[in-house]
Amino acid sequence: MDRNQLMKWIKAPTKMAHKYSLNAVYFCTGCGVIEVPPTITSRWDAERFGVVPTATARQANLFLITGYVSVKTLRAIIRTYEQMPEPKYTVGFGSCTINGGMYWDSYNTINQLDKYIPIDGYIAGCMPRPEAIFVAVTHLWTLIDKDMADGYKRYRKNYAAYRANQEMILGEMEWPPIFQTEVATAITEREG
Amino acid sequence: MTNPLGTRLDATFKGVELRSGVDGRLAVVVPREAIVPVLTFLKEDGYDYLQLISCVDWIDRGEFELVYLLSFYTEEVVGGDGGKQEVLLKATVPREQASAPTATSVFAIAEPHEREIHELYGIHFEGHPRLTPLFLDRNYEIPPFRKDFDTKQYVADVFDRVPPIDEEG
Amino acid sequence: MRILWFVLSPLMALAVGLFFLGLSRRFMARIQWRVGPPLYQPLIDILRQFTQKSVSHGPLFDLGVVLSLASSFIVVLFMPLGGTAPLSSSGGFLVVLYLMLLGPLGIALSGGEAANPNVSIGISRKLILALGYEVPFLMIVLALMTYYGTISIGEIVAAQRESASAIASFPLVFSGIAYLLILPAMLGVRPFEVVGAAQEISSGPAAEYGGPYLALATIQHGLTMFIGISLFVNLLWGGASNPVVFFLKMLVVFAFGFWVNAAFPRLRVEQAVRYLWRWPTLIAFVGLILVATIGR
Ligand code: SF4
Repeated sequence: MDRNQLMKWIKAPTKMAHKYSLNAVYFCTGCGVIEVPPTITSRWDAERFGVVPTATARQANLFLITGYVSVKTLRAIIRTYEQMPEPKYTVGFGSCTINGGMYWDSYNTINQLDKYIPIDGYIAGCMPRPEAIFVAVTHLWTLIDKDMADGYKRYRKNYAAYRANQEMILGEMEWPPIFQTEVATAITEREG
Repeated sequence: MTNPLGTRLDATFKGVELRSGVDGRLAVVVPREAIVPVLTFLKEDGYDYLQLISCVDWIDRGEFELVYLLSFYTEEVVGGDGGKQEVLLKATVPREQASAPTATSVFAIAEPHEREIHELYGIHFEGHPRLTPLFLDRNYEIPPFRKDFDTKQYVADVFDRVPPIDEEG
Repeated sequence: MRILWFVLSPLMALAVGLFFLGLSRRFMARIQWRVGPPLYQPLIDILRQFTQKSVSHGPLFDLGVVLSLASSFIVVLFMPLGGTAPLSSSGGFLVVLYLMLLGPLGIALSGGEAANPNVSIGISRKLILALGYEVPFLMIVLALMTYYGTISIGEIVAAQRESASAIASFPLVFSGIAYLLILPAMLGVRPFEVVGAAQEISSGPAAEYGGPYLALATIQHGLTMFIGISLFVNLLWGGASNPVVFFLKMLVVFAFGFWVNAAFPRLRVEQAVRYLWRWPTLIAFVGLILVATIGR
């Protein structure tokens, strides 16, 4: 740890803690997930940077969505995302989450993930190499440093719009809205 | 064609047509009504493993082709040339009001395969115990694997209709 | 002096427990030919978890974690960590035995409130496992108490200081071996890791914990590890005259525990109980009989 780092730790310890303890949810959607095992095991060893997979959504703060999202998976993704404690960060992995990728004209995969949940960053490629995950992580560090990884705040702020989009695809959802819109706005105003 | 199994099938059933198989597979085309009897016959003959049921949409001919791939678990079945032999059983059903007899009475494993075909091609299997949806949880006007299902139009109508989130608003 | 120890020994337990958590991650990483996280990674994780928002599933959910953490801290107060224990009375050992059960019980209470099936499976596994290692553990404890004729940890340590440490003296060597055999189960490391199996039951009792709850549960885990190891050092390895030597002795026991962790695959819960009720129980029983017949 050099002096620069030390100063950052003294100035904003929580921010630094969020940066260096990114626990990802074990959630595998598409084919891209095949790149995750080498990333967390001996070859690339993501634990060096504090990136480890955790078993449940409650313990995590990073959501790596690895690949195409079918309608059924979308429902599970939304549930998982809403269960994660704030602050939480989402990264879309692979072109399928950006614009549908090679499944752009499929009858059952939603094309653009950020219409349904907020995304803090994307990794392009089909499929991206494990190195790309590290690039994404370092990029996410920069975003957290600059307070720009604010997906969870945007979700709260625009919850009504997100929920409307989700209902458009999923139809009637079996759980009630997690934010009352007025409450969400109030919290956002208080916390910025 | 001098295939012992083929000869016997020809003698037992009416309207059986043999096609030259590749890779040790014997292709047998049967009429729709003969699916279950022929399957039973083959099962007794040693083909005790139904590997898969597949479906092809021949939209120009106006019919679906069901393909049953039969293989063996317990004992190797030897064909005419002395090598292993598997059987491809093919039957056609019309596209309009498509329906076929279920094979679940012969092979229990046919149940999920037929459910899947029912879901993706809309073929009704008479006598199937539960033709409920298997994978999909949405309703499609035309089953999505039929050739006349326009995926591009569908994506434009359903997924592209969802507006992007206006972050500034 | 004693007042000082009241503050010092929980702090020391906390620091050493967290250090052990970090060291174990590093240790495993090196064995798997990885670099591994920095030693202070558990601290970062705990800081992160404390600043996350989490949901509560009810009052018992909150209180259960606190109960288990508090009981662990009180147990620490009864431990002579290379000096006098802040809370030491003649019956100290019996109190420790009771309080040690409160740790898993608190987690069980709190997890029960969450009504998550994975949590229930994890808790039932934990309690079955506890049933498995409590039997040999009680025999070891009984042998020790009979041998030294006291029920106070401090006096056992003092008695060992005068003569040889328990594990090096004849009839008690059986108890020492039995304790080493059940140590991984008490620490909850690999062969007995079914309780918090991450992939199968989503980390079991901790499945519903997020944010501060998870932080407290992590600290509790560290303390459990500390207590298990320090009990061994105190009861069977003669304690120590100052905290530094005590810590070094703990480090050796810890290294043994994690060598086992790295080398063995996981046992199913009934296999674990079968193992615990066979060899450790047998050896502990032999030790108990010998102590009762031969005596000092
Ligand atoms: S982007 Fe490519 S690798 Fe990733 S899920 Fe889509 S098709 Fe698979």
